[in-house]
Amino acid sequence: MKGRNSGQIRIIEAFLAIFIVFSAIAVSANITAKSPSSANNGLASLGMQALLQLDSDGSLAAYITAGNWSGLRESLNLLLPAGVSFNLKVYDNQMRQVNTETVSSGGFSSQEITLVKYVCTSQAPEFRVYVVYLYLAVAKQ
Amino acid sequence: MPAISIDTFFACSLMVLLVLSAMTATARILQPLINMPINVEVAQRLGEIAKRILLYTGKPVDWGQNAQTIPEEFGLAEAGAVSPYALDVDKVSRLNRENAYCLSYVQIFTSLKAADLSFRIEIKPVFNVRLNPTAIFEGSNETVYAFEVASEKEDGALVSTILRTYVLAESLLQTNDIQNFGGRTSFNITIPNTLPSPAVLIVFAKSMYNNRATSYAVYSLAHLSEPPRGAFLRLSPINHTLTVASTSSEAILRRVYALTFNSLWQLTQTGSNSFRIPVSSDVSPTVLVVFGTNATQPFVEWTVYPQVPIQTGVDFASLQSVSDVYAYEHLVSIGNGLYQCTIFLGGSKT
Repeated sequence: MKGRNSGQIRIIEAFLAIFIVFSAIAVSANITAKSPSSANNGLASLGMQALLQLDSDGSLAAYITAGNWSGLRESLNLLLPAGVSFNLKVYDNQMRQVNTETVSSGGFSSQEITLVKYVCTSQAPEFRVYVVYLYLAVAKQ
Repeated sequence: MPAISIDTFFACSLMVLLVLSAMTATARILQPLINMPINVEVAQRLGEIAKRILLYTGKPVDWGQNAQTIPEEFGLAEAGAVSPYALDVDKVSRLNRENAYCLSYVQIFTSLKAADLSFRIEIKPVFNVRLNPTAIFEGSNETVYAFEVASEKEDGALVSTILRTYVLAESLLQTNDIQNFGGRTSFNITIPNTLPSPAVLIVFAKSMYNNRATSYAVYSLAHLSEPPRGAFLRLSPINHTLTVASTSSEAILRRVYALTFNSLWQLTQTGSNSFRIPVSSDVSPTVLVVFGTNATQPFVEWTVYPQVPIQTGVDFASLQSVSDVYAYEHLVSIGNGLYQCTIFLGGSKT
């Protein structure tokens, strides 16, 4: 009787092992969370430099204050390299969206989107703070 | 065989099988994670080196201005610049092989102090101006040249621009402004056949949407026989001084001009073969045009300050076997204009 039971216990052990091993696989699968990729860092750096250069002569805030969204779109199109899609949103200091039109180079076909946050101030007589969110992705052919 | 032995054998086999499959699955899942940190680490390290080249002034900080100075530490940033990624006009010009004071690969490599790296630095305008002569109509008194001009990014995307054209000869100056909506247009220029010197067409382009994005193109008008560029003179602009070195013993300089999008100057000689380049607040580069004669043959030579486009360093594309090469693109300002700089780094031990 005792010998028969030990065989059944080993079967239970085997199922326990199945449970433990598959749990381990399930947990380790979740460990493959995104680590910072160099491509994303590169995109973020490109976006930040484009905004920095636009802001260095005050033209970024000038475009926003004037509501010249097409000018801002063309300017970003010129400064960002070929194959980079973007979508830009502008918020005021209360985080209300300022841009009334879409400032974008087209739909994102990539799932890896990089966000660049940038704060700029208006050089107009009235002091204004704008928070710029620039979403970037590598356009897929 | 007793039933218990069969059960035990079955259970043990199942466990061994499961452990093996679990190990295989875990190894497959973890393999990219094991490799990734090394690649990311290398990419980050090289990225920091690329940034350092653009954000550090080098040592001494003014190594670009003095023709005889070889930097102890390499860096292209402008000393005292207000915004980041502002490169020094003279340091950039000293990377161009056309410049008599350009740094050699070994000098840059040594001052970079990264013994395990090979590099390439490319600097170019954010868009190009392409001049295409479409027709020439030769009359008895004058010749009409028809040109198509396109301002476009490297991927072929057209850029709407404002064009300023100059037709310049020793005794001729014509200017014209063109609104280039859509990035492609055409225009004609007319030149008298009696001109004693060759003429050049210089086209500056400024983006309609970003004043700091400019480009240029120069075209030699071949109404006189025209030798290739650099046949008589080597032009080296640094520290707002144009140094002219004759490559022909019979070359005589006659007139030297500096042109930007908005201005034109005739330069006066300040030394035996040097001319002062005026400090310009213009966003466009300064095109320097030298007219002269070699024996009795008139010629024209030109260069640009800062001497962009630049391609210096190892040509990775032509190498047969290359280890990992990383390219870092940056948007930089030189003078008042915007340029695109790509730094290729490779050869690092992983």
